[in-house]
Amino acid sequence: MANPKKKPTPADHGILLAICSLVVPGLGQMVQKKRGRGVVIFLATLVLVYITDWFFVHQNIGKVSLGKLTTSWLWLPLILYWLWNVLDSYSLAVKRKFSLVPGVLLAALIMYVVAWNVTDVKLNRLVERINDARTVATNLLNPDMITMTVDGQDQICAWKCMYTYIGDKLAHRTPAGPIRVSDNLLDIVGRVKLVAPANWQVKLGLAQSGGKVKTFVAGTLLETIAMGLMATIFSTILAIPVSFLAAHNIMSRIPGGTVVYYIVRTILNVVRAIDTIVWGLIVIVWVGLGSFAGVIALTIHSVAALGKLFSEEIEHIDPGPVEAITATGANWLQTIRHAVIPQIIPSFLAYSLLRWDINMRSATVIGFVAGGGIGFFVIETVRMGGYQQYATALWAVAVVIIIVDYVSEKWRESILKDQPQKDRKKHRTADALKIAFYVILGLAAFMYSWNVAEISIRSLFDPGKNFGRLILDFVSIDLSSKVVQVVTQQMLVTIFQALLATTLGAIVALPFSFLAAKNLTGRSQLSAWLYYLSRAIFNILRSIEALLYVVIFIFWVGIGPFAGMLALAVTSFALIGKLFSEAIENIDPGPIEAITATGANRFQTIIYAIIPQITPPFISYLIYQWDINIRMATIIGFAGGGGIGLTLTTFFGSLQYHKAGTVVAFIVVVVAVMDFASAKLRQVLV
Amino acid sequence: MLKIENLTKVYPNGTQALKNVSFEVKDGEFLAVIGLSGSGKSTLLRCINRLIEPTSGKVLWNGQDVTAASGADIRKIRRQIGMVFQQFNLVKRSSVMANVMSGRLGYVNTMSSSLGVFSAEDNQRALASLDQVGLADKAHVRADSLSGGQQQRVGIARALMQEPKLILADEPVASLDPVLAHSILKYLEQLNKERGITVICSLHFLDLVHRYATSAIALKDGELVFQGLPKQIDDAQFKAIYGQEAERVSII
Repeated sequence: MANPKKKPTPADHGILLAICSLVVPGLGQMVQKKRGRGVVIFLATLVLVYITDWFFVHQNIGKVSLGKLTTSWLWLPLILYWLWNVLDSYSLAVKRKFSLVPGVLLAALIMYVVAWNVTDVKLNRLVERINDARTVATNLLNPDMITMTVDGQDQICAWKCMYTYIGDKLAHRTPAGPIRVSDNLLDIVGRVKLVAPANWQVKLGLAQSGGKVKTFVAGTLLETIAMGLMATIFSTILAIPVSFLAAHNIMSRIPGGTVVYYIVRTILNVVRAIDTIVWGLIVIVWVGLGSFAGVIALTIHSVAALGKLFSEEIEHIDPGPVEAITATGANWLQTIRHAVIPQIIPSFLAYSLLRWDINMRSATVIGFVAGGGIGFFVIETVRMGGYQQYATALWAVAVVIIIVDYVSEKWRESILKDQPQKDRKKHRTADALKIAFYVILGLAAFMYSWNVAEISIRSLFDPGKNFGRLILDFVSIDLSSKVVQVVTQQMLVTIFQALLATTLGAIVALPFSFLAAKNLTGRSQLSAWLYYLSRAIFNILRSIEALLYVVIFIFWVGIGPFAGMLALAVTSFALIGKLFSEAIENIDPGPIEAITATGANRFQTIIYAIIPQITPPFISYLIYQWDINIRMATIIGFAGGGGIGLTLTTFFGSLQYHKAGTVVAFIVVVVAVMDFASAKLRQVLV
Repeated sequence: MLKIENLTKVYPNGTQALKNVSFEVKDGEFLAVIGLSGSGKSTLLRCINRLIEPTSGKVLWNGQDVTAASGADIRKIRRQIGMVFQQFNLVKRSSVMANVMSGRLGYVNTMSSSLGVFSAEDNQRALASLDQVGLADKAHVRADSLSGGQQQRVGIARALMQEPKLILADEPVASLDPVLAHSILKYLEQLNKERGITVICSLHFLDLVHRYATSAIALKDGELVFQGLPKQIDDAQFKAIYGQEAERVSII
């Protein structure tokens, strides 16, 4: 006799749960308390179905014809993915292990096929136009820095020519002609010119009005440095009050503060999601083209970024002193002055220095849209086909950024080391002199930069005639289906461009990162050299912004998302390489020692002691890089790299601000969502 | 039998960690190595299996010169010598089983081990080793979900996978709560008594030395200052090893 109340076996449960997952992917997993896994599977299914359908309908991606039926072959891996999810749910129920690998691979297959198509990858161009690439490479390696006059004609004297010249000089032969620093290099660095005197010179009687004085006129590189410096100083000053308004532990102490907190936080996040370059587009409508526009754009983005970092720093202070000072009967302001500020000064300084580094990098490209600085110079020279002049600019940028990067890092380290100062009473006068020297130096740099960056507070209050319209149009953005469709498509191109760039960069960076990890390099001379070489490659490539690279790839593979993707891949390679090698350097040496002690060989030690330790940070960095690349990809179109940036400049250029507003809104949403998702994913991983 | 002859180690920065240390360990002994932090205990243990290259002197393991062994030979020697570490040195994100299995790497083929494939026999051995330290039920959890004491037992199980003739234990209980010290040392004692595995163990607390060791040596500033039976360490000896300011303390 059958027992109707037979206890259900795990297999029975399994079938039920499998059906759950068949109907709604991820549901079976969610029911079994694998919430995260279920949610990820569910969301991934939604995304995969959406992009497979969307790109088939709009771009015919994966089109195959089966008799009368025309469909996308990408539905096949999607169905397999769906089945994998069902099997996964079943095996969870019967407690058998089922691998994540097939699911991840199938999802990746769909993503990469789409990415490959929308990015318009044309590998044949890389080969067919290799001669163009060679021309660019030759030009890049032979920057225009020295001019030689031969028979009254000026010509560029690159490395080979200089070598011959020096050889001739040393051998007391007559060189082909006299040499001098080229006009191009003077344009970049600066030169002494006869110009009309400044007001203060006339007032002090140093010059006569209407006359001319010999003055050093800053070149585009100095202009860039000044822009970065001014933006950092302004944004630090502005971010401090903002950060207090965005710190929960401060604001919750005053009535109505929580509301202010949420508003300020939201504004900061929105402002931060719009790239500096996009801000540049908006600012030029306000104050017009020029260095000052660049400074404002950099400042706006920096205030938001610093405001967020500062406020998080305030939220993480030790509450002990705050409690103690409050207990003495101090008021709100006193508590901040005596309990909060002393705790946050070092980290604020460190963040400002970090921001200085970032601002310097952005300042090199802000000229692409805002005018001023070396970015503007690059656009001008490249437009005239001056690749050797462009090369000089690239080398100059690399040198400056590497120095800034180094100084900022060392300075931050010394600030954060936080050591109690030894004997303060000794060398008091020497210290005072040193401080006075730095203050004077800082003030001089500030005044000079103010001048060079053409800061003009007055023009802030004298907006351009289109600015009012821009504000109105941004409030009433165009959400008609035609615009939305164009923007969606370009946004998806941007996201996939970033995905492909991240992948390509990571694949190339992986082997280099092992060479660049100090703890893994052997004791031989060769590996020491490889270490320094790979570190140098990472640092040099990383010092130049992707926007500056696009120019090279356009010449090679033509204007479009493929060129943009390659440019992003170069910067990704450099940053991922650096992060990976640092992750390898940070692993716990204990397991390596333990595995070596068991008699394992080198290869086994890598597999058992190193790989398990580096996998989570590696994946985390890849997600992080994808996040960064999406931001970068939104602007790569400004230089011809395709994607949403191109759409945005077109709309701005044709004064269709309400459509430009749509693009900006889309960028804000996508960047914010990616930011949130990548942070959550990385939290789970590490 | 392990014989150490005139072992000296000078680090590249000039620190002299070991000065002419010589002693012998007979098979089946439980040798305690005592001394202050920085007295050279860790360096000494690591010179025995050449995780650290000694500057001069010899290590003879059953007549074989460890210090002169080539790459392949040193790996063969290492696999007979298990090691247990103060910080456990487990791969925290890997499962307990994967950590225990890694103790077998010196015996198996590189390719198959890289793919994580081990023989059924090795799997049995791993389960038996875990059973020995009372963690058979924890085989498939992540190593970092275990408590410190449990992690150290995994460390011992990993050493057991090597079927060692000698176990080097570098401060195996120094990172644990004092109450757990006995539980770990009892496992080592058991292996020493039941399987005849020689144990060389550096320890901080003198009462642990009295309780578990069959013989003891003491290092001070890299020099061997005492060699004998644990009970011979009287107050005068104690002050000589640890300095005049030291006080005797004991744990539970």
